[in-house]
Amino acid sequence: MSQVNRLATGGRIDRSQPLNFSFNGQSYQGFVGDTLAAALLANGVDIVGRSFKYSRPRGIVAAGSEEPNAVLQIGSTEAAQIPNVRATQQALYAGLVASSTNGWPSVNTDLMGILGKVGGKVMPPGFYYKTFMYPQNLWLTYEKYIRKAAGLGRAPKAADPDSYDYMNQHCDVLIVGGGAAGLAAALVAGRSGARVILADEQEEFGGSLLSTRETLDGKPASEWVTKVLAELASMPEVTLLPRATVHGYHDHNFLTIHQRLTDHLGEIAPMGMLRQRMHRVRAKCVVLATGAHERPLVYANNDVPGNMLADAVSTYVRRYGVAPGKQLVLSTNNDYAYRVVLDWLDAGLQVVAVADARSNPRGSWVEEARKRGVRILTGSAVVEAAGSKRVTAARICAIDVQNHKVTSPGEVLDCDLIVSSGGYSPVVHLASHLGGKPTWREDILAFVPGDGLQKRFCAGAVNGVFGLADALANGVEAGVSAAVEAGYKAVSASVPQVVVHLEEPTQALFQVPHDKPTARAPKQFVDLQNDVTAAGIELATREGFESVEHVKRYTALGFGTDQGKLGNINGLAIAARSLGISIAQMGTTMFRPNYTPVTFGAVAGRHCGELFEAKRYTAMQSWHLQNGAEFEDVGQWKRPWYFPKAGEDLHGAVARECLAVRNAVGILDASTLGKIDIQGPDAREFLNRVYSNAWTKLDVGKARYGLMCKEDGMVFDDGVTACLADNHFLMTTTTGGAARVMEWLEIYHQTEWPELKVYFTSVTDHWATMTLSGPNSRKLLAEVTDIDLDKDAFPFMTWKEGQVGGVPARVFRISFTGELSYEVNVQADYALGVWEKIIEAGKKHGLTPYGTETMHVLRAEKGFIIVGQDTDGSVTPDDLNMGWCVGRTKPFSWIGWRGMNREDCTREERKQLVGLKPIDPSKVLPEGAQLVRDPKQPIPMDMVGHVTSSYASAALKHSIAMALVKGGLKRIGERVFAPLVDGSVIEAEIVSSVFYDPKGDRQNV
Amino acid sequence: MSNSINVYQQRPAAAHAESPLFHAELDQLVGKGPAKAGVTLREKKLLGHLTLRGDAKDSAFAGAVHQALGLELPSALMLVAAGETSLQWLGPDEWLLVVPSGTEFAVEQKLRAALDGQHISIVNVSGGQTLLELSGPKVRDVLMKSSSYDVHPSNFPVGKAVGTVFAKSQLVIRHTGEDTWELVVRRSFADYVWLWLQDASAEFGLAIKA
Repeated sequence: MSQVNRLATGGRIDRSQPLNFSFNGQSYQGFVGDTLAAALLANGVDIVGRSFKYSRPRGIVAAGSEEPNAVLQIGSTEAAQIPNVRATQQALYAGLVASSTNGWPSVNTDLMGILGKVGGKVMPPGFYYKTFMYPQNLWLTYEKYIRKAAGLGRAPKAADPDSYDYMNQHCDVLIVGGGAAGLAAALVAGRSGARVILADEQEEFGGSLLSTRETLDGKPASEWVTKVLAELASMPEVTLLPRATVHGYHDHNFLTIHQRLTDHLGEIAPMGMLRQRMHRVRAKCVVLATGAHERPLVYANNDVPGNMLADAVSTYVRRYGVAPGKQLVLSTNNDYAYRVVLDWLDAGLQVVAVADARSNPRGSWVEEARKRGVRILTGSAVVEAAGSKRVTAARICAIDVQNHKVTSPGEVLDCDLIVSSGGYSPVVHLASHLGGKPTWREDILAFVPGDGLQKRFCAGAVNGVFGLADALANGVEAGVSAAVEAGYKAVSASVPQVVVHLEEPTQALFQVPHDKPTARAPKQFVDLQNDVTAAGIELATREGFESVEHVKRYTALGFGTDQGKLGNINGLAIAARSLGISIAQMGTTMFRPNYTPVTFGAVAGRHCGELFEAKRYTAMQSWHLQNGAEFEDVGQWKRPWYFPKAGEDLHGAVARECLAVRNAVGILDASTLGKIDIQGPDAREFLNRVYSNAWTKLDVGKARYGLMCKEDGMVFDDGVTACLADNHFLMTTTTGGAARVMEWLEIYHQTEWPELKVYFTSVTDHWATMTLSGPNSRKLLAEVTDIDLDKDAFPFMTWKEGQVGGVPARVFRISFTGELSYEVNVQADYALGVWEKIIEAGKKHGLTPYGTETMHVLRAEKGFIIVGQDTDGSVTPDDLNMGWCVGRTKPFSWIGWRGMNREDCTREERKQLVGLKPIDPSKVLPEGAQLVRDPKQPIPMDMVGHVTSSYASAALKHSIAMALVKGGLKRIGERVFAPLVDGSVIEAEIVSSVFYDPKGDRQNV
Repeated sequence: MSNSINVYQQRPAAAHAESPLFHAELDQLVGKGPAKAGVTLREKKLLGHLTLRGDAKDSAFAGAVHQALGLELPSALMLVAAGETSLQWLGPDEWLLVVPSGTEFAVEQKLRAALDGQHISIVNVSGGQTLLELSGPKVRDVLMKSSSYDVHPSNFPVGKAVGTVFAKSQLVIRHTGEDTWELVVRRSFADYVWLWLQDASAEFGLAIKA
């Protein structure tokens, strides 16, 4: 198919480089420099989709990010699918495959189109609101229907082959928008020496200057753009970001920019290149030069393909060399729109007529059009478009704007293109992301940015400065102000000469009156993307919705990816008229990030796959991997969970590992335990205050278990701390609690007891720790150390220094299994060698590596708690039956003492930690199971506690559990029941939580 | 020196040592990167790392440190170096001293002797961290991808050192030469940082230096 609408000359496209692409399965050709929308229009594609609710055919309306209809699905393969791409923002590349997101099986013959009105009735205005008022299950029914019919694009089902990343930027001045005002601002800010970022969402910098018929210094405006860009590119502190949409303006001048690095090159980024990048910018000062969107007029059937924005048509003609029609009718209320008429004539095409709502327009462009023979119908507007799949005619009537009335039967003029202009809406979206309410200016009929809550300036059209000369001057002013604000000296810059045109005021006109009342007239669309009509808005106000936010939610005006770019002001104006109030009184809804859709890839950046989360490894990780360990996540740490042999499952491996420790010897990598080196003359006093037990009498060479409580008396960490020298201790913490405890110590030292002379230093990563546990551990260790391991020379709860495997080590004789145990600590750089030497020497002693699961079972057999599993922040040492670990006579009121003496903490029926022995020894209670005394009582049952830890014990040959049970310690011997989800019940006896070796003989041998 | 602190030689006279990135076999990668790499990485491994605590406002402390090391205590966010030895501010009462491998025990003893009688703390953390040196014209871009701290020379001149967020971990960034930076990385995070750096510098070309 040839490019029927391509003009013979003109445009910024490269006609020597044709590109093939497809849309809805049809092949087409465009040129390098086209957007997908320009190429579709060039090929005469009128219909790009079906509307959301009424399934009406829709065509391209705009040329930029405000396009409501041409929201397409891109991608030839499943992995390359991208939803919600605006054809007006997508550069054409060779082989581009696009399709409509709405309109299965085909946009031209759509079943829903035939049934269009049915869809409309099923989904009246207020559909969302009314739906949510019904019970939730009804919504689920509706949802299925809506999702299928709506089809607003779909996510790919295959993994994205592309890479995305973040770039953290800092600058003095961030300029948003590279049109006339933005370029002028960038130039002066850059010349001042400031660090400047200029971001623009389009393929090229220049904005309207790339398509305007106006000249700068007597030359085409694009020449000035080229000159300015060259100067900016030569400044080392200026960063130019094309194809980069500033989509969010957040607190403290933090802005996010979504840059499409290679989206214009193909559907998959070339080798070694990223697809998109998220710039996270912290700016000292921001200049918003986001421009304005032309506002369409609201008239009957204004959604039929062939109804477009005036400005957009100029852009297609001048920038892309595309004329989306032959015979043009313009409906306007302002002077600026006359430019499209002149551009259309310059392209050698026919202007049928101009309908101007004003009674006697005499501005320079109006006169120029008049001089060139254009028929101008004043005091008139296009009231209704004719045509179904393409505009065939426009009915122009005389109108009485004040009384909202049609005053003549009008005349029907044949045409294939109706362009309208209802004035300009500044792009205030970013300015209001932070909550600054836009302000209505009646003189220009537009909302302009309200108070800047951050250091920011606005320049150009976003400020309501629509004329080119003024916009340039405004840009210079903002650029200078921003640079000065950021601490740089102002530099002067000359503004290029612009021919000044006589411009007359715009006539306030939003919805064009129709002969019939709005509800009876053909549909007059306000928000094309969400299918919101003028009648829908009137209905909302009739039903009592008076607040602008309510009207929005009732009708869906400005919802979703559209964010009210074209329809917002028209909708407000209609609601205001319907309520008999002014637009200023009506106010506007707020705009939220994101300005345009951002892909999930850009949001995730590199934080996905292997890099999703930091993984921490110990010095023995390579050995664990080589020996087939399965890993468990403990915080960010990867800890060996168990070491299965061929054919073994978790339970088999754990049973084997447990028995090996009980009967021979096992080795555990305990390096992840938090370790804190404590030095200073007041170290001992500090320990007295942060631990629940007493530390005054711990001699050098000894170690002690300690419980740490929060102020409320609840246990929050535990561990063994050793006295290394008079003023020197080594504290261990739980793996997950290491950072928390370190902060805890620092907070108390810095804020409560700064007078105590003590320093804390984390040594978690410096020391690698290997635990040898089991009756053979002494014999094994003796083979690799020079330390005297005699039970009297090196008793339980002491430590020694010496060589292990030829490496200086500290060995702690402490036990978390209840067996004879040694914890060997060496500098982590040497740990793997020591570990391997122990493994080698251990062969003849039955040495078995074990993981965290076995560790958990072994400690549960001994009734040793795991903080965070058997405690949950509501458990005191007494609740744990660990009153022996509470220093009740310590002179200083240590952390938690007052809390645990509150009345509630000392009452009798508190939940207390006990052991549970299931009556059926093969049944393992689920952890978390609720316990009751009588399983036959009616629901809701009276619950008396819950299971905290539960395992099958290989050594005891029956299952065991630990549980928090109300008044449990005085109920030893009683029965409790765990009713399970499947209806079965496990019965268990309350027993002591120490199941194995209650006297502790084995660890003391 | 009192025996109120347990200080001993933790590094063996002769034993094989594995730096935190030993498993990456960086020596095998030397010379295999692109000819014009934007980023060159070198692990400055197995150096002596000591954490020094003391009262910066006490001239006796600053004086004794200077006397023992020949380096002035650096002020906030600064790093001073002489040859292989560097001293870096970590916090208002905390410094990182990096010394040639194997000398950390002797240096600690010398410092303790000079600071005898003062309330200080010196902790050997050599096994717990490593230095990664990044050099080349694109290092700044890699740092910008990784950290939200402003690494522009106007904010991060040579001689500055900052502890900050890096990807999803934390580390210290030190600016040691115009195009040369160092990362102080904790052992357990080293593999993650190495993976991250490979990924972040892929588009600029990454080379490994011995």
